[in-house]
Amino acid sequence: MITVMRMMVRGRSPRERARARLMSAGAALATFLLCTAANLLSFRIDAPHDRLWVFTEHEPRLLAALTLTLLVVPATVFTYQASRLATATRERRLAALRLAGATPYETRLVGAYEVGRQALLGGLLGGVAHLAVNVALWRSLDGVVPLLSPMWTLVVLAAVVLIGVGSGLAAGRHVVASPLGLVRRARPRGPRAVDLLLVGLGVALFAAGFIGKGRFPVGGPYGAALSVTVGAVLLLFGLVLAATWLIGAVARRAGRTAAAPETLLAARIVQADPRAWARALTVVGLTVFFGSAVGAQQGDILFSPWLTTSKVVAYLLIDLALLLALVTSAAALAVHQAEALLDHRRSFAVLAASGVPASALGRVLTRQALIAASPVCLVAAVAGAGIIILTTADAPGWSPGTFTFAAVRAAVTAGIGVLAAVLVARVSRRTLRGALRPEELRAG
Amino acid sequence: MLEARALRKTFGRTTALDGVSLEIGEGEIVAITGPSGSGKSTALHCLAGVIRPESGEVRLDGRRVDTLGEDARTRLRRENFGIVFQFGQLVPELSAVENVALPLLFNRHGRQESSRAARSWLERLDVAGCADLRPGELSGGQLQRVAVARALAVGPRVIFADEPTGALDSLAGEQVMDALVGTARESRTALVVVTHDNRVAAYADREIVLRDGAVAGTSTAGASTAGASVAGPSAADGEVTA
Amino acid sequence: MSIRHVLLGLLAERPKHGYELKKEHDHHLPGARPLAYGQVYATLQRLERDGFAEVAEIAQGGGPERTAYAITGEGRAELERWLAEVEEPAPYVASPLFSRVVVATVTGGAADGYLLRQRAAHLARMRELTAEKRSGSPARVLAADYALQHLDADLRWIETAMERLADLRGEIDA
Ligand SMILES: Nc1ncnc2c1ncn2[C@@H]1O[C@H](COP(=O)(O)OP(=O)(O)O)[C@@H](O)[C@H]1O
Ligand SMILES: [Mg+2]
Repeated sequence: MITVMRMMVRGRSPRERARARLMSAGAALATFLLCTAANLLSFRIDAPHDRLWVFTEHEPRLLAALTLTLLVVPATVFTYQASRLATATRERRLAALRLAGATPYETRLVGAYEVGRQALLGGLLGGVAHLAVNVALWRSLDGVVPLLSPMWTLVVLAAVVLIGVGSGLAAGRHVVASPLGLVRRARPRGPRAVDLLLVGLGVALFAAGFIGKGRFPVGGPYGAALSVTVGAVLLLFGLVLAATWLIGAVARRAGRTAAAPETLLAARIVQADPRAWARALTVVGLTVFFGSAVGAQQGDILFSPWLTTSKVVAYLLIDLALLLALVTSAAALAVHQAEALLDHRRSFAVLAASGVPASALGRVLTRQALIAASPVCLVAAVAGAGIIILTTADAPGWSPGTFTFAAVRAAVTAGIGVLAAVLVARVSRRTLRGALRPEELRAG
Repeated sequence: MLEARALRKTFGRTTALDGVSLEIGEGEIVAITGPSGSGKSTALHCLAGVIRPESGEVRLDGRRVDTLGEDARTRLRRENFGIVFQFGQLVPELSAVENVALPLLFNRHGRQESSRAARSWLERLDVAGCADLRPGELSGGQLQRVAVARALAVGPRVIFADEPTGALDSLAGEQVMDALVGTARESRTALVVVTHDNRVAAYADREIVLRDGAVAGTSTAGASTAGASVAGPSAADGEVTA
Repeated sequence: MSIRHVLLGLLAERPKHGYELKKEHDHHLPGARPLAYGQVYATLQRLERDGFAEVAEIAQGGGPERTAYAITGEGRAELERWLAEVEEPAPYVASPLFSRVVVATVTGGAADGYLLRQRAAHLARMRELTAEKRSGSPARVLAADYALQHLDADLRWIETAMERLADLRGEIDA
């Protein structure tokens, strides 16, 4: 089996190599971020240090660690998205394996090996990068930044590889390659009400881990970290499912009423696979959610007399992290669009050959992004601002000004999210032009 | 109406077309045949203005096509040509009727009107029952008839078909050809069909045989350019003796 | 082709006159060479002699054309035996087309030009048949299909022959 796996890895196409590199990059980023977060938590608490107060004072330090941990989410989604690149080629290869006598389980193992290998390579890279940064900081800022124990690095690395292998196994789940080599993609099930439970459970675990840190009932701080991680994963799954439903519903509606062919095409294509869009957009949605929530909070504080520089700096840092998350998730979106285009290159090339201008097909891409991103960003922005306003509205300091600030900030955040998706779609036009070449029309 | 002169086209070191000249008349049905790799598809793409030959010219009603820019050629294709390929031309996410309506919508017709026209085309091609199904739910023959409906929907002057029955069994292929040729004749649309199946070629008024990127011969319903002198009844001429 | 058995088959339905049989034969086998009336009459007499058919009715003042024949029990048995039999695949290639190409090749002559002309002639006939199918009765469509597929087989052989000739020439030139 191992030999076969090695063979498969060696015989990869350039596209698959690119995919493998992207996956490694995502894994490296995730490892780096997780190690840094762990490192942050082991800083010496409350050591007086005027410039580094964000990292040494208890509360902002927690916030920074939380932000870093959250940044792992886009990195993970990016890695997962990359693992889905070139699926057509990969599925054909897996089907060939089945034809050669491999059992379905074995083909899934091959898939898991491929992802796991890339996760390990990336994880090692990320770990080494963190170690380098860590050593540099430790030498220059001794007394504040301790060396992270290698135990932690190993734990993080193991987690990254495990998640990689798990997602590799899971990715093979939707592909049923019959021994005759036919590849069918089993339809992933639609969202159900039970999925909301996932969201609830996720939120609960997540919150419990954070609030109960230090006096967590089981396993102390480790239990808390585990709780946060599991909660985040559950929450993500739940959100993806909810977003799937939302995107599907909006696309269905848009498709029914569309007058322009571009909109019709865009809506139907999104409607056929809302899950892929939901996966790619969940992180964008989360970013918008936090951005909008933070905005509402800022409104609360900015107009209050208790504004301090430290708070302004903290907020700026958070906004910066959110922007970073947005960029990572936009990259994941780009990967998704490139993949979706591959599936359509033949039918699009035929459309182009029969006289549909490339610019019109480009508009199909942007409208897809609009149809999928708008509802997600809108809901996320309203929810983000809403939660803060609902929980703090009766506190003193709320004025029409703060409300306006919160609303504007929510609108801007949603706009940035949609804009990111649309920009990515515009970038994909270059891929589109490649897909429209007349060579695509050749039968063989 | 559509005319090509001395077309040459190379891909790297392969010469796909080596001086092909041919002419398609108004409403005429022409088959381009020849062994695989003889340049049939390349010739079709040049005629349809999808690719540009390196030398030679293509004219539609006397107007040069091959020298036009990408935008102008795109518009010309949209207004004058319909295209049918062997497979994979329908958008998998759209229903059959939406697929057929698509070019109409791109020509700025309303949604209702386009859908109605699309349905009537599907009816004419005997696939009205598939109107609301997606391509994945249709048989090969149904798919091709939907594709033919889409090519015809905009009322083109020429339909180009590249191996339209290549992926079908002979009965389904015959139904597709019957539908394609029947509707083309009714609407006086010219049809250029590339095929290596003689039974498909037999639907045409004229056959153009390509060999190594050049025209090796043509034959019409009346006679062939090679000047056949037919000796006696052929073996399969109705009476086959065992 | 066994006209005897075709006529027996037509009689299996009900007793028929010779003229009726000729018409039905030509209708059901439209691609076949039309039957001469004398041939029908001679065949019927042979069937009667062998005990496969019998005279069912002779109309008033009737010549042979007014005689209706019926199938006998023995005739039915014979028909069934014939239908159950498998047609022997043609053991020899006996086509003038084949001979012409081979002779043209052997004499090193213009087989290529001949093949192209033959191809055109075949295709012309295929065009006629295809056009006939559009308006024809089911029987005519079946007959046209039969002829079309045989012509197609000929054509494909012609194409292969042309390829082989090209290869052959390439070998000689090399
Ligand atoms: N895009 C292309 N790139 C490279 N070679 C090509 C391309 N298109 C066609 N060819 C070559 O040109 C020749 C003619 O191809 P084509 O027109 O597709 O033949 P046909 O349709 O008759 O089978 C073939 O040798 C083919 O390999
Ligand atoms: Mg071809």
